[in-house]
Amino acid sequence: MSLSLRWPRTLASQLSLIFLVSLVLAHGLSFSLQFYERYESAKSTMLGNLESDVSTSVAILDRLPPAERAAWLPRLERQNYRYLLGDGEAGVPIDPKRVPIAVRSIDDAIGQDYAVTYTNVPGPKPHFQGHLKLADGAPVVIDVFPAAIPYALWLPVVLLLQLGLLIGCTWLAVRVAIRPLTRLAQAVETLDPNVHAAHLDESGPTEVAYAAAAFNSMQDRIAVYLKERMQILGAISHDLQTPITRMKLRAEFMDDCIEKDKLWSDLSEMEHLVREGVAYARSVHGSTETSHRIDLDSFLDSLVFDYQDMGKQVELSGKNAAVIETRPHALRRVLVNLVDNALKFAGAAELVVGSTADGQLSVKVLDRGPGIAEAELAEVMKPFYRVESSRNRSTGGTGLGLAIAQQLALAIGGSLVLSNRDGGGLCAELRL
Amino acid sequence: MEHVDHILIVDDDREIRELVGNYLKKNGLRTTVVADGRQMRAFLDTTPVDLIVLDIMMPGDDGLLLCREIRAGKHKATPILMLTARNDETDRIIGLEMGADDYLTKPFAARELLARINAVLRRTRMLPPNLVVTETGRLLGFGRWKLDTSARHLLDQDGTMVALSGAEYRLLRVFLDHPQRVLNRDQLLNLTQGRDADLFDRSIDLLVSRLRQRLLDDAREPAYIKTVRSEGYVFSYPVEILGAQS
Repeated sequence: MSLSLRWPRTLASQLSLIFLVSLVLAHGLSFSLQFYERYESAKSTMLGNLESDVSTSVAILDRLPPAERAAWLPRLERQNYRYLLGDGEAGVPIDPKRVPIAVRSIDDAIGQDYAVTYTNVPGPKPHFQGHLKLADGAPVVIDVFPAAIPYALWLPVVLLLQLGLLIGCTWLAVRVAIRPLTRLAQAVETLDPNVHAAHLDESGPTEVAYAAAAFNSMQDRIAVYLKERMQILGAISHDLQTPITRMKLRAEFMDDCIEKDKLWSDLSEMEHLVREGVAYARSVHGSTETSHRIDLDSFLDSLVFDYQDMGKQVELSGKNAAVIETRPHALRRVLVNLVDNALKFAGAAELVVGSTADGQLSVKVLDRGPGIAEAELAEVMKPFYRVESSRNRSTGGTGLGLAIAQQLALAIGGSLVLSNRDGGGLCAELRL
Repeated sequence: MEHVDHILIVDDDREIRELVGNYLKKNGLRTTVVADGRQMRAFLDTTPVDLIVLDIMMPGDDGLLLCREIRAGKHKATPILMLTARNDETDRIIGLEMGADDYLTKPFAARELLARINAVLRRTRMLPPNLVVTETGRLLGFGRWKLDTSARHLLDQDGTMVALSGAEYRLLRVFLDHPQRVLNRDQLLNLTQGRDADLFDRSIDLLVSRLRQRLLDDAREPAYIKTVRSEGYVFSYPVEILGAQS
């Protein structure tokens, strides 16, 4: 397994990484400098003390009568070194390349008066010993335990606390910087010009407030454009409906002939197109319809009965007993468009209620018509797209039925999937 | 002398109102056409009519306002048929809520208008309702159910919408308009024939059983729609007008 260090992908982790690494480095650097400086000064003080102390102590031992020397030893003992009478422990000579500093200090202090030899004593607590002989020939050992510079026990705790503080501050700073961005991204993602969406909060740091204000005004502009477009469409359709009404009424005064029938069907086609066009624009624009809790079984039953009462072959199978929250007119329109399509191409439709593998509610509208070529399945949902067999005017499609159904399915939080059935025919599945 | 139904047509488009007027005249009705609310009021002050055809989209006082005005005045029993320009559910709901008896979406065929006019006239003449639903009372309550007469669906105790097919709604509405009254199959068939008169061919018995199912009514021990042997059916539950939607 290779451990590859990759540049993190999220802005939050990138910023955190930069902040944290630079802060820890800067902090570590200043800490090391301070530590080194303290170490140097402590060392020179300590060695200075060692020099004068060792020369004094050895002089005292030298002048004391041999019988009193042992009693003085504890008084001369210091934290890092002590004096012993005798030859000391066996050791190895000190490597001349790695002579401890303390050796030099001792040499400086007493080297002129006494011949001192040094040995290292390895072991669990390595130390070194300086062997010398006093004026009366008695051996004395200076036993030195080199120790690190003493530091307070709370130091690591403080260091850890500082590290924690750094991490905390970094996290806070990154969060403050990232949050408005996340909020903006969410707002853009959920931007639905049809619903009058809530404006972004324009408070906060200047840059954030500016971005929020820009977003809000963009949202307003989109809403205005859409509204304008809808008004234009609405006006056109309304103004078309009046002349179509007049023409239809006039046609009814004509004597029965082929021309009258043709005029009539042309007018009906025009009327249908105007109506579907407005319906499509409305479905894109969303609906002002409020959602309602509905009993799905009775909803589908009533839809199917309405068709059956008109002598159409529409059957319903499956029960769900679900109560769903939805916009009933939009849902009805989706299903009516799908059933109308099935009736147009196959003469009969079958509705099947069930649920998908992931627990979604599914209403399938099935037919045994010609189906749709696989390549065209996605295309037919586009407005004004008609499959080849439907271009034939006799079927009289506007190419909007499926587009409306898909738009409305999205608007009510569902999805529409078309597929060809085994054995021929189309399956239009609405998932909620 | 035989009574000829007098239809008042209110539409701001001169051609449409004249074409409609002529068509209806040709089919044996008496018609008067006016262009706006002012003319309508002036005419109604002197002459009562049998039915008013009212366009919704008109400059000045629109059809909804006029409809409400008629329902509040001395002609409140006169049936009204609305013409709406948009094929929008909300228009229909508002129109019916304002007290119209039926509606037709423009562009419409004159023969369909004629059929609707005849159906509305027949409905209101044949059996005047015991219960008159007004603009303010669009919810009818009975037992555990409420019927929303403008959106045309049932609401159960929890407010969950239970949909009705067109025929089911019309049948239930006939029952609710005539509670405690035994209705025979012919009456029910005639009163139920509304919008899709020529297409509606289900038998009343089938429709009643469907409606009972919808109301969760036990057919052997029905609480709402009782069978009266060899006569017909009666809606035996008390019905109350609940007012605007809660």
